Amino acid sequence: MSNIPTHIDFRSNVQHVPPHMPPAVRKATTKFLGNRADVVNQLGTDRWEMLRQAGHEIRLHAINHLDHYLTQLEEQVTRAGGQVHWARDATEARSIVLQIAREHHIKRVVKAKSMATEEIDLNHALQEAGIQALETDLGEYIVQLAGEMPSHIIVPAVHLTKEDIADLFHQKLGVDAAPEPTALTAIAHTKLREEFLSADMGVSGANFMVAETGTIVLVTNEGNGRMCSTLPPVHVAIAGIDKVVPDMASLTVLLKLLARSATGQKISTYTSFITGPRRVDGENGPQEFHLILLDNGRTRILQDESARETLLCIRCGACLNVCPVYNQVGGHAYGWVYSGPIGAILSPQLLGTSVAADLPFASSLCGACGDICPVKIPIPKILLHLRHRVVEGDAVEPATTSPIIQAGVQAGAMALGTPWLYQLGSQLLRLVEKPLQRGDWLPNLPPPANRWTMVRPFPAFNADFRTWWERRVGKPRTNKRLRNLALAVIAIEALLFVGWLLLRKRKR
Amino acid sequence: MKSTRDELLDKVRAALKRDVNSIMPGVPSTARISPRSTGDAEAERSLLFAEIEKLGGKTRRLTHSANLKDALQDLMRVEAIKKATLWQTTDLKELGIEEILTSIGVEIVSPYASNRVVAECDLGITGADYALPETGTLVLRSSIEKPRTVSLLPRVHLAIIRPNIPRADLHQVFDEVKRDGYFVFVTGPSRTADIELTLTIGVHGPQALHVWAI
Ligand code: SF4
Repeated sequence: MSNIPTHIDFRSNVQHVPPHMPPAVRKATTKFLGNRADVVNQLGTDRWEMLRQAGHEIRLHAINHLDHYLTQLEEQVTRAGGQVHWARDATEARSIVLQIAREHHIKRVVKAKSMATEEIDLNHALQEAGIQALETDLGEYIVQLAGEMPSHIIVPAVHLTKEDIADLFHQKLGVDAAPEPTALTAIAHTKLREEFLSADMGVSGANFMVAETGTIVLVTNEGNGRMCSTLPPVHVAIAGIDKVVPDMASLTVLLKLLARSATGQKISTYTSFITGPRRVDGENGPQEFHLILLDNGRTRILQDESARETLLCIRCGACLNVCPVYNQVGGHAYGWVYSGPIGAILSPQLLGTSVAADLPFASSLCGACGDICPVKIPIPKILLHLRHRVVEGDAVEPATTSPIIQAGVQAGAMALGTPWLYQLGSQLLRLVEKPLQRGDWLPNLPPPANRWTMVRPFPAFNADFRTWWERRVGKPRTNKRLRNLALAVIAIEALLFVGWLLLRKRKR
Repeated sequence: MKSTRDELLDKVRAALKRDVNSIMPGVPSTARISPRSTGDAEAERSLLFAEIEKLGGKTRRLTHSANLKDALQDLMRVEAIKKATLWQTTDLKELGIEEILTSIGVEIVSPYASNRVVAECDLGITGADYALPETGTLVLRSSIEKPRTVSLLPRVHLAIIRPNIPRADLHQVFDEVKRDGYFVFVTGPSRTADIELTLTIGVHGPQALHVWAI
């Protein structure tokens, strides 16, 4: 079974959000936002804004000169005795890991939290090869035991209560524990301590990769990142090619932005800076270090200047925390490892709009995500850009709406734009709706329009706009130009509405 | 045949409309972010300790290395220490830590023993190479004398630091350590809030962090 989706149906996923999920998620997001506000105030808003601007410029510079920094990174990692691998896609990345595992007869792998490894669904590949792969971040460990997906980027198991977790530990680990966070954490600690000590390979992601020195930076609070990169004899780090930054000086800005935006800490508990394997025999640390640089759709994002800034993301999760949509539905509805606003722009680009066409629409475009993003990614602008791609297609991908619906939208636009057609249409519509009409409402519409009336009745169409206006307000006393202007505005809105309606009802 | 590497780099260049000879402008400067205003050495040390305490670490100032024995005895009692391991640096050797610990009945384990054995220690003693007062961060380098596991595997981590290690900001630390094969920032004891957002101290890393300045 693979966790890489072939189709994401956001609206249907939303129907399956368990009722306890949104409040649990909101508890987390409220807490993180509160902590974040505190540390930002402590720093001073001016200073914070300076850091954000610098963070944006540094990340953009790195992405705009990615070829240069990747080459430099490779050179430096190699010089430090590490091995660099390049992977076009998930399949290649998985087979590189499996190859390394085979060469060393690896049986047990411990993993630090990493979005890239989830993106390539590494765990399944390892399990299929008979290798045990264990998540070691407490939250990830819990969702892995439960066979679920993370619901929040920072606290993956936030949707589970302590009672759920105690049950889970009882079923899967055969241990009875009081449903108390401390007791449950202690159980996970003991189980995982044994795994850390017996693992023969550690797998991690990288929060940043520093081109200047060939250093990968791992940020964790629990210490599992240090364990995975210190104890096993082989360490494999997997990261998207977008994770590279020019130099250590860049980190003086980015590290300050990351922890504050993510959890509202000034800095996370542990930040490891790893440059190659251990330098001398007798020093602690892995004997072998591999870095896998993953494309998996990133070069395609790079091509598109309007969406390129998606790659600036440092995965802090702040945009999830402020997003009103995310707060209502939680992470699972987004159907993949990336959720919230960043998921809404990243997933459709990595997986293709045919897989994730719903996601750019899973937003109210309120703009909060763009305002909070520590590296100033214009998320709302990119959301609009991707909506446009879904409906009309662009240089990167063709439209994913079916030709019938596209023709429908075009016909609708024509009808609304041509007065006599519009008049005719409005007369026809009144005839057609007659048998379905109950008072002022249409309670049941035939498929596919019934997807609307399953949820709420549709207002009956009583007259075209002019007639409606005259009936309600009386003969317009406004001058002709003003009336036309109003009409044009209404027509455009109606058009947008029809387009939106059709899109949501398009064939899947 | 083109390697994956060359193919990917070509794709990147094509996407960015660059080629191998394209000019490289400098990295956007971080210098315009005014440095944090630091206090005098004493203020910086106080800030460092205050921040560590905020995160649940315990700090202590020893005016004299002669007080070390009392302090270690206290620690042994409070944290129920039976076995300890430590960095093999001259700093710690000069303080005679091993001798003191043995004299108060703590078993010393070599930091070069297997991970499993080091993990059984109750206490790991290290120094720290630098510190960042603003965040309460200790910077630990790695070498044969400074095994990485001493600050990671034992239940309690004690860092005995010199008073001159605080640095104003990350820049100053990176300037010194960026060519190292490994270094780690340690800020408080290990923590998680993964279960119902309840802050729980002590997950995979040490459950307790003690920092003493001599
Ligand atoms: S898009 Fe911005 S706010 Fe969202 S996770 Fe990425 S860096 Fe954080």
